[in-house]
Amino acid sequence: MELVKRYIAAVQRELPEAKRDEIGRELNANIMDQLDMLSEQRGELADTDIAAVLKQMGHPRTVAQQFVPPQPLISLHYMPVYQYTLLMVLGILFVLQVVGSTSAWLAGDFGLLLYIKSVASGFIKDGCFAFTAITITFALMSADTAKAITSQNDNWQPQHLPAAGHSWQHISLQDIFTDLATYAFLLVVIWYPLWQSPEELAQRSITLAEPVRQFLLWCSPLLLAGIALNITQLKLRLWSRRMQCFNVLLNSALVIILLYLAANGPLLQINAQNWPGVFALEQLQGAMIWGLVITACFPAYEVLRDSRRLWLSRH
Amino acid sequence: MTTAQLDKMRLELRRGVLVLAVLASLKQPHYGYSLRKQLQDGGIDIDEGTLYPLIRRLAEQGLLDSEWQQGEGRERRYYQLSELGTQLLSQLTDEWQQLNNSLSNLLGTASQETK
Repeated sequence: MELVKRYIAAVQRELPEAKRDEIGRELNANIMDQLDMLSEQRGELADTDIAAVLKQMGHPRTVAQQFVPPQPLISLHYMPVYQYTLLMVLGILFVLQVVGSTSAWLAGDFGLLLYIKSVASGFIKDGCFAFTAITITFALMSADTAKAITSQNDNWQPQHLPAAGHSWQHISLQDIFTDLATYAFLLVVIWYPLWQSPEELAQRSITLAEPVRQFLLWCSPLLLAGIALNITQLKLRLWSRRMQCFNVLLNSALVIILLYLAANGPLLQINAQNWPGVFALEQLQGAMIWGLVITACFPAYEVLRDSRRLWLSRH
Repeated sequence: MTTAQLDKMRLELRRGVLVLAVLASLKQPHYGYSLRKQLQDGGIDIDEGTLYPLIRRLAEQGLLDSEWQQGEGRERRYYQLSELGTQLLSQLTDEWQQLNNSLSNLLGTASQETK
């Protein structure tokens, strides 16, 4: 009977403290009944017979889980709200991280790779904290009750549902926050020199050429309009015709601006005293022009995509 | 259809019915192993891993009364329908009869169409 004791102890180890004694006692009674029946048929039982019966009962962990099924950390009732909250908070953290790192990048005069590392490491650090905090909060809510969500789900009306449309009409949070981070990045790049003293600017090895910076300052309302569109998207989460038309206009303007900048240099000016001289200015200008042309492809793609969608859904 | 699919669907089909079978069998007091034997003799084969936790859950829901008793030199936990369990069994039996009639009609129609 040593095997039975070991088996029951193994099952009990997998059970919550409060239920160990009761379930162990009952399991023992059931196994002993089964062994009694077997010994009536076969006579005295060997350890191998007992082991076969226990093996048939199942692995101790499986048996324990059948008695006390494991509960998910987050209740299924809360799962959609949990996922939404997580995406929302991580998205906002990403935007804030881009703004913070861009400011530090412009002030600190460090390289592009360090800037990317700063965005990534800062986002991972804040993201881990937010993920843990949100998960613990929802786990505690799940341990309590799902009444609030149930009552909220009961109060819906079919008339309040948005009209059925194309599958692409739903705007993903990822798209919204990517655009929001891009607009925030550009605004910080354009406006940051205004907050710097002439001494700080003089220490920088490379800056935007003055005509380019002036031109970009005039483009700021366009970026603010983009942010306003993103905030509206965040609220509605569905493309409307009006929103698509606005997006086509906005992205067309961005394409024109980017191509205009690419065609009308010089884009950058260097401070000869601080310039390390790794690359020639012409090389940097050339890289910037190609960068702008490639960047223009993204809003151009959105112009084509939204124009096609507007055309297809014109009726 | 694969054997795995069939097994899965058979399991789903039996899951709800097992509660009814267990409640019906516990009009008389039984301990775990004797209940399993009774169900097996009635043509319902159910493994220990499913039956014992199921009885405990039903008892925790107040549908079964339980009592530890000494028998044949060893203690056993006997289960029997509680008052609440008796009421529920009556309602579930009616539900089962209606469902069974409806399904019989549907399955009868379906088998005639396939012939």
